[in-house]
Amino acid sequence: MSELYTARNPGTMAHEFGGPIDFERMRRARRARCLAEMERRQIDALITGRDGNGRYLTGARRLWMGGGHGFGPSCVLVRETGELFLLSTWDDGIPPEIPADHLYALSFNPMTTIERIKQLAPLARARRIGVDSISPLFEGLIRAAAPNAELVDGEAALRAARRIKTPDELQCIRTACAIAEAALSASIDALRPGIREADLLGVFEQRMAAFNVTAPAVEGTFCATPRNADRSQVPPVRLLPGQRSINEGDLVALSSGVLYAGYEGSVGRTWPCMGPGSEIKPAQRALFHRWMRLWDALRAQLRAGNNGAALRQAYADAGEPLPPFPIANGVGMGWEPPLIGTALGAEADAGAILEPGMVLSVAGYVWQQGVGGYLSRETVAITPDGCELMTHLGYGPLAET
Amino acid sequence: MDSDILDLPRMRRERYTRLLAEMERRGVGAAMLIIPGNVAYAGGARNVMADGDRAGLERNVVVAVKGQSAPHLFTAYPEGAPPELPADHIHPPLYPDLEEGVRAMANAVRDAAGTRLNEGLAIDEYTAAMYTALPRLLADVRIADAAPMLQAARICKTADEIECIRRAQRINELAMYDVQPQARPGVRQNELMGLFLRRIFELGATANVVDPIWQPMAPALAWGPHTVNGDIAFPLTSTDRILRDGDVLWVDTGIVYNGYASDFGRTWLVSHRPRPSARQRDQFKRWCEVRDAVLERVKPGTTGRALTQAATAAAGGRRPWMSHLYLIHGIGADSAEMPLIGSNLGEEFDDSIVLGPGMVLVLEPAVWEEGHAGYRAEVIAAVTETGYRDLTDYSYFPYE
Repeated sequence: MSELYTARNPGTMAHEFGGPIDFERMRRARRARCLAEMERRQIDALITGRDGNGRYLTGARRLWMGGGHGFGPSCVLVRETGELFLLSTWDDGIPPEIPADHLYALSFNPMTTIERIKQLAPLARARRIGVDSISPLFEGLIRAAAPNAELVDGEAALRAARRIKTPDELQCIRTACAIAEAALSASIDALRPGIREADLLGVFEQRMAAFNVTAPAVEGTFCATPRNADRSQVPPVRLLPGQRSINEGDLVALSSGVLYAGYEGSVGRTWPCMGPGSEIKPAQRALFHRWMRLWDALRAQLRAGNNGAALRQAYADAGEPLPPFPIANGVGMGWEPPLIGTALGAEADAGAILEPGMVLSVAGYVWQQGVGGYLSRETVAITPDGCELMTHLGYGPLAET
Repeated sequence: MDSDILDLPRMRRERYTRLLAEMERRGVGAAMLIIPGNVAYAGGARNVMADGDRAGLERNVVVAVKGQSAPHLFTAYPEGAPPELPADHIHPPLYPDLEEGVRAMANAVRDAAGTRLNEGLAIDEYTAAMYTALPRLLADVRIADAAPMLQAARICKTADEIECIRRAQRINELAMYDVQPQARPGVRQNELMGLFLRRIFELGATANVVDPIWQPMAPALAWGPHTVNGDIAFPLTSTDRILRDGDVLWVDTGIVYNGYASDFGRTWLVSHRPRPSARQRDQFKRWCEVRDAVLERVKPGTTGRALTQAATAAAGGRRPWMSHLYLIHGIGADSAEMPLIGSNLGEEFDDSIVLGPGMVLVLEPAVWEEGHAGYRAEVIAAVTETGYRDLTDYSYFPYE
């Protein structure tokens, strides 16, 4: 057990001796999964623009841009040869298995980009080209470059490939969770009356960067939960940190995530803001116990074969209304489908079947008028016989009896 | 213009009016926008800054309809909606990256736009799920490309937009007063990043938008990394690289304030006591000559090509910028947007760009001396009626 535990929490120096993550093997496995999905769907070439897809296909570490961006063809995978072509003006951050002559330069001229891709990849022969998104301009250009091809949904193929994680991918997510918890702990340590919400975010980001992480998964929530609501049907919550100061007695929701090698680790906890001599109020403790009941109900449903509707039902069984955000979502290279417990309804949730190897980020939220809210976020891997809780951070003074 | 006044409701109102005017001019009744920069411009809403895949799944969507006084915002973060936006224009998120979401999207756009859909719907981009399902769900609607409308509306900024950019830049620069003294032998790139991120949030940034760059420049291109265009390999992603005494550091960062980007660029020297050599001072002098030659011509009526020619002439006939980038880019709701000048869109394109009041230009020339690295910095110039206003206010230490 101790050996297994060490292997799962290795730090980063372990990689000197190979470590528990074989990155080359991980990239190979991901490409094989993508090619298998292309085969199954008879897609001859994939043209992707989204950052997560590009990273999944290639492993390349390209400049992180927050918030996503408009479509540009930044990666091409050809099924026939398995060759990858990648938008990158240089070979820095590019895995060794991608030769330099498979790179194409950053370009602001869409015509130049497509011309270059046409020289590299046999688009003219393609019958079906999968895209993960597309702009009206590039739709026209790709159609002209591949006159025999039908443009089809490539995102579905990538999602199918990405959904189930290999052991190496799981290890990346465990590492990301450990870093996210370290950073969240720093914010928790900084919590005191008078600190501003944005300062707590700043502390998180600085501690995150100390672990060589240069991209957050999300800047996240560092907010005092609202104590009062007027007429809301859904539990009130604040998710966007600002310049507000935190007060003594506030229940402060802290939830954020980091990317390690592209993989997301997220964690969320709620902490009371204590002053000198502050004590936990019985109503706050009662709220935490309500959250525990909810989390127990959720956790019991996190097993293979269940579907997303079971998580929605867990909220109902615990007597808690759904919060105004997804109660669970897939995690890998950032967020992935499914999103569970959204406005899209229970029917959409029922279609999300949990399978071994999927990783979910699961959010618990309970709220009480006059008291505030308790928000949690746990990262959970579905296993053949249940689930593995990848987040380990404790629950602090609210959980003390 | 009083530079301290920022009226956000007025800014959003003026932007929306511009967008509706462009829709009118191009004959569409409604626009449905999903690209983050366009959505931020048209909707004025904040959501959480996240990695691309999460940002996509949770994206805000805006529907603008001719004849309506405010846009429709579909958001997972209603607390980020502009306070003046009527409650019946704030809707639950649409999730257009999911099949079920696209069905909801088609219904939502019909509800929001009504008969205006008969005049056509402009769309800026398709998710794969939209691309697969929308043509069927909106088979009776003429679809147009929204990109030209947004580009036209966004290229010239209002006074409030310029003030947002100035404030974003100010926050970015103030953070650097804490970071630059730490550019000492042995510091790691990720440590500079951590300090920078903490400071920008303390100073009031809404978000960070790009991996901050602290790149030590190899003296010669042959030292690598290999580039496909034979030009300078910049900007390279930051890691835990240890910075060494004497490193020439090209710094490039961008943050967001109220939806507007900053762009900070300077060259630093890693040292306990940074003292540029005579050669390095000369590189900086040549960079200043390029900057001044361009700025002198920044006024309404000047073409983009006139600026690239002035820059090249001031650099002694050599193009003083990187061929995979540009001499100048615009800045606004995106950190690099139109007008792009000196990019591979070509000289004819540069010639078609005529400066007008309200354009905000980021000049980023780079002077390179093979074997001895070079100097690069950025200046932000907002074009006025008669010339320009410099929105940057950070020293050129240690070169100055």
